[in-house]
Amino acid sequence: MDRTSLILIFFTAIVVVLALLMSARAELTRARGGKMLAFVALCILPALAMWAGANEHMERSTRTQFCLSCHVMHDFGQSLYVDDKSYIPAVHFQNNRVPRDHACFTCHTDYTMFGDYRAKWRGVHHVRVQYLGTVPKPADIKLYTPYNNRECLHCHAGARSYEEASHHLKDPNMLALVAANKLSCMSSDCHDIVHDVDTLKDATFWKPSN
Amino acid sequence: MAGNFIERRIRWSGILVGVGLIIQMLTLLWTHPLAFVAFLLIGCPLVAAGILLYLYSLVALSQATESTSEHPVQTPR
Repeated sequence: MDRTSLILIFFTAIVVVLALLMSARAELTRARGGKMLAFVALCILPALAMWAGANEHMERSTRTQFCLSCHVMHDFGQSLYVDDKSYIPAVHFQNNRVPRDHACFTCHTDYTMFGDYRAKWRGVHHVRVQYLGTVPKPADIKLYTPYNNRECLHCHAGARSYEEASHHLKDPNMLALVAANKLSCMSSDCHDIVHDVDTLKDATFWKPSN
Repeated sequence: MAGNFIERRIRWSGILVGVGLIIQMLTLLWTHPLAFVAFLLIGCPLVAAGILLYLYSLVALSQATESTSEHPVQTPR
């Protein structure tokens, strides 16, 4: 557990003690000082603790550990360790092109609670299906909308290795079409091997040294 | 009499806030979608209800004070 979480838990514990103290000794509010204490203990600090807790949970939901905590996501996590450079997520993950502890969120920035209201609703739907519905097979899980090149260009746009790559210059319009999201990076026989979880049983896996 | 009602509301408010925050604290021990759902659907509503009950008790107190000052109790001389 990181230091931020520990500080937040400690702060929340103090607010709990104060709130329960006000509950047990409500007669304190007869005095002016007690009224002020009640306002702080039952209004200001709980609101602050709630806001800080929500922020912490939002931050945690961007972590790889959070995304892979549902069993159905296990294969997608495994696909990050495939020992094959043609697997785009694996090559990004293994070479630190995305932060490993925020790997999913870096490439899926508009997913579930970080997208619009429809994406948030889907996030709630995912939790419902995980515990109350029929969980699909990992290979049957697809994105709701085609992958947006914006996620790739967030890092690659302007990079020399991207703009001067010979296969990106075969067609003079290619980079413009990619920038306009009219030509997907993931299709057209270019970078079309992504998670491909249905092929994992035949794959070999990279083992990190630490 | 009004004081007792207000203190009773403050007691309930403290319990709601306390229980809500304990649930929120427990969810912080776990990085999982269910922890987030418990935080949002159980912890936050309890804390919000406690805060609102406390604020309502303040409003009720000010209303009780106003009505007492407008209609002071006549004491026999």
